[in-house]
Amino acid sequence: MNGRHKEYERLIAPIEGRMMRAVWRVIRDPNDVEDAFQEALLTVWKRWDRICMHPNPQALVLQICINSAHDALRRKLRQGKWLEAGVIPEDIPDSTRSAAQDISGAEQETHVRRAIGLLPKNQARAILMHAVEEIPYGDIAVAMDCRESTVRKHVARARAKLRGLLSHLIPAVHKEESSHA
Amino acid sequence: MRNQDANDEMDDLIRRSTQVEIPAEVEDRLQRRLAEFRTSVEQRPPSRWRPLAYSLTRLPAVRVMAMAAAALVAVAVGLVVIPRESTASRVYAAAAQQLRNSQSLEYTIVFSELPYVGVDFSYAAPGYQRVNCSWGIEVRADHTARKQIVLMHLTRMYVVESGKQVESPANSDDWVEQLESLPPAADQVLGERRVGGKRLIGYRLVKAPHGTSIPGLKSFDLWVNAGTRQADHVDIAIEEPGKPVYRMHIRNIRVNGQVDRSRFDLTPPVGYTMITASSAKTRASETTSQQNALVLQAQIRQAAAVTAVMLPMTGSYAQTQAASERVESYLKTIGVTPVGPPFGRFESEQSWDTGYPVPLATHVEAPFQLVSVPAAKIASVVVNGPWGPDSTGRWSAFLKSVVEQGYLPAGPPMEIWSGDDAKVQTQSTEMQIAVTKAK
Repeated sequence: MNGRHKEYERLIAPIEGRMMRAVWRVIRDPNDVEDAFQEALLTVWKRWDRICMHPNPQALVLQICINSAHDALRRKLRQGKWLEAGVIPEDIPDSTRSAAQDISGAEQETHVRRAIGLLPKNQARAILMHAVEEIPYGDIAVAMDCRESTVRKHVARARAKLRGLLSHLIPAVHKEESSHA
Repeated sequence: MRNQDANDEMDDLIRRSTQVEIPAEVEDRLQRRLAEFRTSVEQRPPSRWRPLAYSLTRLPAVRVMAMAAAALVAVAVGLVVIPRESTASRVYAAAAQQLRNSQSLEYTIVFSELPYVGVDFSYAAPGYQRVNCSWGIEVRADHTARKQIVLMHLTRMYVVESGKQVESPANSDDWVEQLESLPPAADQVLGERRVGGKRLIGYRLVKAPHGTSIPGLKSFDLWVNAGTRQADHVDIAIEEPGKPVYRMHIRNIRVNGQVDRSRFDLTPPVGYTMITASSAKTRASETTSQQNALVLQAQIRQAAAVTAVMLPMTGSYAQTQAASERVESYLKTIGVTPVGPPFGRFESEQSWDTGYPVPLATHVEAPFQLVSVPAAKIASVVVNGPWGPDSTGRWSAFLKSVVEQGYLPAGPPMEIWSGDDAKVQTQSTEMQIAVTKAK
């Protein structure tokens, strides 16, 4: 067993599943996901030595995956390949839901991912790591090489922007808007 | 509260909209990509430079052994990249030849000024080496006996290695082999520069020597003293795509000087615990040592500017008391009364000084110097007890506290000694270091 093998076992093997999921959750397109994942792996390979020495290598690797997925999502938005709201993606994996739930759920997912695609890079990275991957703020800060307070700001700004883009999907915002009216 | 609810709701919406399982067919394809990636990682050749540069710009976060190894790699690379003889310049040729044939060599590698991260390196033929890192790790090696000791001053632990284990990147045979692959001439002559009364001529290498790997090397500038034809210092710039230029320096180069042989002493200091080969035992001794480790709480404050008479020194810090007494006696001779207790600034064993704060209008003669220590934000802590003993251990604990409070060292360590030298119970040491807020 060589040193690189051990490094892989220590750094990547425990989070292989999380890496794949991190990319898939954002991309959700069987054709694009492979490219984005490959891009993430290439980045990890290029930065391998740095990752090995990083205080939180696994958070850094997940951040690279999320970054790559978000880049792919943005590219898709820019190129106009985005499915219009209301169009149902082909893969609806949760078979326990009813057809009506599936349609509205898929619609919601599309809206949310589109909104995430419209976020600036750092905000998207921070909110995805925090809300989806549930990585603590401190670890996100280490991975993003910034202060914890900066991560919190990115997350807060991302939420504010998403609130504006997704107000029709959030009951709390609805309620607030109705009470103001 | 309403805000918190709204935040939770938003996070929940994102989570619900993104947390889906991967279809089996997609997962299979991604697994294949991972398998390919794993193979390329396992076949990846070892890199000797990048982890070093990266780890050394971060203070002793965790893995001290890894950092010690990185320091050794740094030393090896530092030596490897020293340019060799060129017919284009006799000055360059003389300096390079002297380096190649040196019987002893000392220098300081400053990896970062801010925070200050430096490594003192000493070598004496036929195979004695010492690497002393500013974060409390010291490696002493005797390659003739194939034995080395790694001292971790923070945890007061040590490792003794012998035989094949000593075949580290710092192995002198390895250096010789790599020196042979250096370019025959520098790529560029940078011209002359006057620094501190010395006339320096600069030579630049822009490519790593054949057979060595220094990713991102932008320039390697060797400055040679035209008078003595000895290497004076080296400035190295590394630039990686998308990153700011990273600069490091090799300073205080001394070739064929008298090296204090006690630096290569392989006897572990009293009170240090040995780490055994067994990992179980290692864990046990780590626990014990951590319990015994000194804990200091650094105070961050603004320090006023000070004018002082200092005596520049090189060599072992064990000369501190004698040097300080020399300054005291000189001040008496010229009729100057110190305005504060003595202190020392310890940049490296190749360049440190000690002296007394004095009134502004004091005039001194060489070798004494009148220096101004500027006002700065500092971290400090006062340790009661005799001056001197376990200074390195104290410093490691002190720096740990500085870093834990979100600050980074921004200058060399400084010690101020109060009390009566005849009464140990009255003695105390204030440790100070300029700091900057960690970004």
